[in-house]
Parts: sequence; structure tokens; C-alpha cells
Amino acid sequence: MADDSHLALQAIIDEFKTLSPETTSSFIFKKNGGIISSDQDTSKEAIKNLTDAFNELSKKAQVIEGLESLTIQGVEGQINVTGMSSLYLATVSSRAADPKIVKSLTQVIVPTMVKLIDQTAPAAKEKELPQTVKPIEKKDSPKVGKQEKKSAPKPKAMSVGSEMFLPRPPVNQFMVDRISGFLVASDTVRIDSNVVMKWRELYGDNEIGWVNVETLEGKTVVCRFKPIKDQRSNGKGIVQIPEKIMLRLQTGKGKLVIVKPVVEDAKEKKA
Amino acid sequence: MNPKPSAGQLAAEVDTPVVISAFEEKSPTFTSLAVSLSEIRKLKGVIGYILRSETSALIDLANSKEIVDYAMLSSRIVESSVEIAKQFNIGETESILAEGTNIKVLCMDIGNNKIAIFMEKNASHFWIIKRILL
Repeated sequence: MADDSHLALQAIIDEFKTLSPETTSSFIFKKNGGIISSDQDTSKEAIKNLTDAFNELSKKAQVIEGLESLTIQGVEGQINVTGMSSLYLATVSSRAADPKIVKSLTQVIVPTMVKLIDQTAPAAKEKELPQTVKPIEKKDSPKVGKQEKKSAPKPKAMSVGSEMFLPRPPVNQFMVDRISGFLVASDTVRIDSNVVMKWRELYGDNEIGWVNVETLEGKTVVCRFKPIKDQRSNGKGIVQIPEKIMLRLQTGKGKLVIVKPVVEDAKEKKA
Repeated sequence: MNPKPSAGQLAAEVDTPVVISAFEEKSPTFTSLAVSLSEIRKLKGVIGYILRSETSALIDLANSKEIVDYAMLSSRIVESSVEIAKQFNIGETESILAEGTNIKVLCMDIGNNKIAIFMEKNASHFWIIKRILL
């Protein structure tokens, strides 16, 4: 994992006590036991003991298809270990901690942020790709000189290259709200108009006609979208979803979903 | 009013429970837990349970071939969790929830009785904890 990602994860851990003061310990570790980031108050020995015990248990959890999370409720506190792709977040909270806050932090907010970091790290690598790809293009396709470039049809690799320069789709997390009525299209979700405006500013000529809606359980639907017209519903962090799509996503009102725009490259479209 | 059925009677009533050992002593807690667990077993998403005391055990699992694996896993979950709990001073362990990809295990100690309930991930373990602690 890149240094920037480490810093971002450390920042999350550092902020944990601000968000939940009753959290006495928090750290992130890898599946193999390596510590990615931890708070200053927790001893390395304690972290090592937890990671060793968890990894040992994980190896023996084949009958339940691996261990994704562990919650130990004690008389005086609670320990949570939550899986986030290849990483685990461990938190120790006192009994006074609000279970809703702890749950939303450990199971929604931090995993989502880690997912975002995971997504932005490859994006940074992709930006370097055109340079590294160049020699491969030369190898696979006939040499394209400067003069040939004008007349020859655009090689496929070039169009792939142009896609790479599109910004990575921003990921927005919304709370689901049900939408129904005669005039409501059953295949269209409605998204905060400010968010839609930002997408359009970001992608300019590139058309955004569809969005990818994903639940925290991993169910996804690609569907049409419209901005929310009602100003009262804007800025509330909600996405209005018709019943049909909600059923497909197996989600409901009040649940969280991640929404990403599906961007069509304007150049490709013209071609 | 009918007297509460004994755990032995219950074992016969549940679909295909496997009674590992006979009940050597009639512990009221064990019997009461057996009744609760037989009700919990009927809930949607509950795959089965293991109830153990120092002298008796009652197991009801949908897949009897995996009894040993489930029993060993539940013991390990409890052992490891107790160690972790000691390390972080969270006091005596009340309940442990270990979640796999599709299945989760809820482990609880009630007196000398150890419970492990196996369920699908979407089953409500909060309700089950409440039911057991009633």
C-alpha cells in the first residue's frame, strides 16, 4: 500500500477518538498480521496478541467460509474486528459508547473510506500508465510515425489511453428514500441536483446517462437517473429509488448505498 | 398447567437433534436454555445450535456431517475471544459474534452452560441474545 494510503488510514485512526470518545483503542491490520496504522495509546504487544489470535481463528474458520468480523461484548466494553477487503479494523470501546455510532463507524464509514482509498490508489497508478504502455504499443502494432498518425485510423490503444485521462468516477454515499407515483419511472433513480451538477462540471462534454448504485452488501444496479427537482429534498444526502430498483438491490428506506456515475467518453461516442 | 418439558423430551421433539450425552444431572438452567434454543432453532435463518454444560450436551444442526467442525470452531472462538478480552480489559465476556462470508456464530456463556448458535448472516442475532437472556 502506498505511503499516501497509509497516511490516510492513520488520519482515520487519529480521528476515531474525536468521533467516538469512548473508543479506547483502534488500529488497522493486514490479513497476514502486519499493522498498517494504530492509535498511540495501544501497546504493540496488545495489537500483536489480537492480530495473532484473530488470524489463527480465521485460519480455522473454513466451516463458515472464513472469518470476516468478530465482535466480543464484555461486561465493561466491546471489541470489534471488521474486515475491509484485505484489511481489518479493530476497535475497543467502553460500555458507555453509543452502539449506533460504533456500528456506523466500524461497519459503514471506515470501510467505505478504505474502499475509496483503495480506488484512488490504483487511479494514481493509472495516470502513469501511458508512459509505461508506450513500448507495448510499439511492439504489438506496426510503428506509427508522425505522418502516418494523421491519416491512419486511430489505433484502439489510443482510445483506451484517452479513457484513462477521464477522472475516476466520484463515489457518493446516500441514504435510500422510496419514491412512488404515476409519473415516476420505475427504472430511474433521483439524485441530489448539486451532486449531478458537480458530475457535469467534472466530466464536461462526456455524457453521464447512467449511474451505478451499490449497496453495502455488494448488490449493484446500473440505471438511469434524474436530478431531484424538489429543493427541500436536495442537500439531505438521500437518493430516491423506485420500488422496483429497491427490490433488485434488496435494500430499503434508510439504508446506505454508494452511487457512481457511469461516464461515456464524448470522443468515443462521436467516433 | 403443563410442566416444562425436560431437555431429554425436547431432544426427541426437535427434528433431528443429536444428543451427544445423556443428562446426568437435571440443571434447571440447562433445561430452560434447551427450551429457548429449540424455539430459536425454528427461526428463519438459524442453522442450528450447540448447548454444552459440564455434564451434558445437546446439538441440533442442519448438516450433521459438520458437527465436529462447528463444535471445534465454537470452542476456538470462545477461547480466542476470552484471551483477547483479557488483553483489552473489557471484563467478563457476555457474547461473541463471529461472522463468516455467509454464516455467523453467536457464542454465549450462561452460568456453566456454553451456547453456540449458527445462523445465516441476515438472521437477527440481537433478538436471539435478548431471547436467551430473558
